[in-house]
Amino acid sequence: MTELVGIVASRGMRSIGIIAIDYLIKKLQPKLIDEVYSTHFPVIHETQPSYAAHPDYPGIPGIWLQKVGAALPKIEFYLSDSPRLLLTRGYHANFQGQYEVAEQVLDICEKHSVERLFVLAGYGVGEGEVCCAATDIGLVEELKTRNIGTGYEGPFMGFSGLVLGLAKLRGIKGVCLFGRSKPSVEDPEYPDPQAARKVLEALSGILDLSLDLSGFDEKQPAQPELRVIGS
Amino acid sequence: MRSKMRMEIKPQRPCMVTGLPGAAGVAKLSADYLVKQLNGELFEELYSDAFPPHVLIKKDGTVELLRNELYYCKNVKSKSDLIVFTGNTQAVSSEGQYEIANETLARARRLGVVKLFATAAYVVEKPAEKPVVHGAASDTSLIEELKEYGVAPMDTGSITGTNGLLFGLAVLQDIPSVCLLSETPAYTTATGRFVVDAKAAKALLEVLTKMLGVEIDMKPLDEEAKLSEEFTRRMEEIEQRTIDEVRKAAASRSPKEQMYT
Repeated sequence: MTELVGIVASRGMRSIGIIAIDYLIKKLQPKLIDEVYSTHFPVIHETQPSYAAHPDYPGIPGIWLQKVGAALPKIEFYLSDSPRLLLTRGYHANFQGQYEVAEQVLDICEKHSVERLFVLAGYGVGEGEVCCAATDIGLVEELKTRNIGTGYEGPFMGFSGLVLGLAKLRGIKGVCLFGRSKPSVEDPEYPDPQAARKVLEALSGILDLSLDLSGFDEKQPAQPELRVIGS
Repeated sequence: MRSKMRMEIKPQRPCMVTGLPGAAGVAKLSADYLVKQLNGELFEELYSDAFPPHVLIKKDGTVELLRNELYYCKNVKSKSDLIVFTGNTQAVSSEGQYEIANETLARARRLGVVKLFATAAYVVEKPAEKPVVHGAASDTSLIEELKEYGVAPMDTGSITGTNGLLFGLAVLQDIPSVCLLSETPAYTTATGRFVVDAKAAKALLEVLTKMLGVEIDMKPLDEEAKLSEEFTRRMEEIEQRTIDEVRKAAASRSPKEQMYT
């Protein structure tokens, strides 16, 4: 059986990671195999962006109403048999839960014998359309041969950064593909589908996924209006 | 908290130096510089959920978790080996800071540390021509020793964060301890980041190395200190110019309009 590759993303800078993972889930129709819930998942984050966790702002717990029933904030794990991928749709915990949740994600990856992780995210400075970071210099060099160079230096905040950093500590090989976007001061997580597409193209090339991106919607969605109905 | 042991060490009558990031980077720079000059070897890494929840992407593209580190400096041409505790962050929560400090001191006891030297910044309003090194110690004989090295003894004040806790908890645990604090104006940038004050670190290291009986090359730090001095001078100039301009603008208004004097 071929190696199971882990793909991890969450909301983050310009929502690039979550757009990319949602497209993979939509396109590959993988099976939902696991979910992680946490008391540290707020339904409303008190920091902006949501991934800039602060100990004094734990966020507000709650639920989202659905057509039928309700949903809690969660992390979802999807298994795709062809190509062999474990897709993790992440969620930003508050300050108290960030490390714990990232460790749980890696526990599940290890349970499924994932040896290689790809984290999808965004960056707002430097050159190029997609740049990389990795758990070891050998992986960085390998990506350079595919014309994906380094281009971002500095902190990588929140869920996806911690998954990558803790993966390194566990000896799991990991790569992050950052799509370049223009930072938005008003809403740092305002979606940038074009940047997400570039990340997916890079991922598809590296993993030889032959990903069909014809149905990818590059239109920037309107800002969703947050409706707090009850408290 | 979790740790990653890189190698077992058997130090001879070691002293421990501690210095984490804090005001003006004085403590961290002092610790880092010692490690570099004495070819310290990283022997243990400490990780904590209480560290800020982000990782660092380095220039070469590799990722690094925030961590605290213990280095072993062997054969430093003194009676004692040296253990240096430093890192790229401090724990954020109070519980995390106490945990890291206690875990570090537990290691100090296990390794037979005979004396602990905590480092920190002493924040002053104006930059000093030659930063004074202030100090505190766990007993009166050590305070007398500090005076012999030109350290100004402190009897009031507080040292916040893990740098302070390491000293305070060491005193509580009867580990002979000294805390050295070097004067710095602790300038910050517009984004709130501390400007590293190499001049303050140099003053601290001049005392510390004498107390430890080790010799290190101070030339690279001299260069850094000159740059710090120049930067501080310019910051002062800007500060003074701004004050003068505000006063001038205020003075030109009618007394009724004046808000600042």
